[in-house]
Amino acid sequence: MSAPDRDLLMAYVDGQLDAGARAALEADPVAMAEIAALQRQSDAIRTLYAPAGAEPVPVRLDPHRLAAHQARRTRAALGRAAMFVAVLGLGIAAGWWLRPASHAPELYDRLIANAVSAHTVYVAENRHAVEVAGDDSAHLSSWLSNRLATTLAMPDLSADGFTFLGGRLLPAPEIAGGRAAQLMYEDGSGARLTLYITPSSGIDGPSYEAVDFGLDTALYWADDTFTCTLVGPQPVDRLEALLTTIAAQLSPGSPGSPYRAL
Amino acid sequence: MVDFRDELQACVPALRRYARALTRNIDHADDLVQDCLERAMSRRLLFRPRGPLRPWLFTILTNLHRNTLRNRRRHGEMVDIDTLPDLAVPAPQPGHLALAELARAIETLPLEQKEALLLVTLEGLPYADAAAILGIPTGTLMSRLGRARSTLRALTGTPAEPHLRTVK
Repeated sequence: MSAPDRDLLMAYVDGQLDAGARAALEADPVAMAEIAALQRQSDAIRTLYAPAGAEPVPVRLDPHRLAAHQARRTRAALGRAAMFVAVLGLGIAAGWWLRPASHAPELYDRLIANAVSAHTVYVAENRHAVEVAGDDSAHLSSWLSNRLATTLAMPDLSADGFTFLGGRLLPAPEIAGGRAAQLMYEDGSGARLTLYITPSSGIDGPSYEAVDFGLDTALYWADDTFTCTLVGPQPVDRLEALLTTIAAQLSPGSPGSPYRAL
Repeated sequence: MVDFRDELQACVPALRRYARALTRNIDHADDLVQDCLERAMSRRLLFRPRGPLRPWLFTILTNLHRNTLRNRRRHGEMVDIDTLPDLAVPAPQPGHLALAELARAIETLPLEQKEALLLVTLEGLPYADAAAILGIPTGTLMSRLGRARSTLRALTGTPAEPHLRTVK
């Protein structure tokens, strides 16, 4: 049997022939015998597998249920994506908020460190704690004012129980004028305070900062004219009160108490 | 208007039948059908052809099955013949073919012949539809079909000329 014949017989079995072609084959007993064999084969295949199509369909193959699942999954995925974005955003925000200060310390930070170093060195001195004694307050004021190229009054803390010991000129290579002043005070118990003063031009940074150095606390304060760093072993609220008094006296022209406790 | 999911539901028995014949494993078959339904639902807006749903679903299922086999081959998964469910062997059926023997014979067919055979004999699809599902010309479909049938006949020992039947 040639190939076209085989295709014709198959087409008969598979119902692909029109009436005329079917009739022509049905007149041929040999062809019909072949067709019968093919039909039995097809019937057998259907007998084998058709039952699978008659079984009750498991619920997991219910399209309505699958659609609901899919919708739930989509919602869950959207939720997860939203959560992810939110957490990522929080992380970025926190990272930005907590970002480390640039590696080089800010200028005002170095001034605070200078103030603390100078404090540590000079409060330990007895006879040479200051360069110019506090009893020559007028001279000290004009000298330091000249060197710092500004007008600097010597704050009087006697009302707070502190004696003015005097002051000295210190190098401050970080800043434009290259100089800083240190004033020293002492209370009745011998506890000493120092006040480190520079002109404030060219110094960016916060107007107020408190730094704990263990035994001592440094309070930094800046206005348009000066930066002051008050260093001493006193409690921080005591230092804050003193700094308020100092600020009012240092810049007599500036209004009231520029320093506000945070 | 008929709900798309209702239309799908109407096709599920046929899909299960075809998938079962392809895989001969009820779980694999139902997994395939589930994948097929999910894919159809998620893609219908983009890809659903304008024509009837059934041939499209058969196309999806055929491709999913091919992918599964390809992945399994790539990952070297072994299928233990003993885990395949036994085919119930009912009483001898028309033509006295031993059905289990036929089932085994079908398993030996190349996949492309098996697909063609099942779509036409089991699902009763017209040649044009079956060829479209398999993405081949009708002539190719018929030649695969012819080879499949000859092989089965040889393997099941059915003589080329069985008892003649007279057709009036």
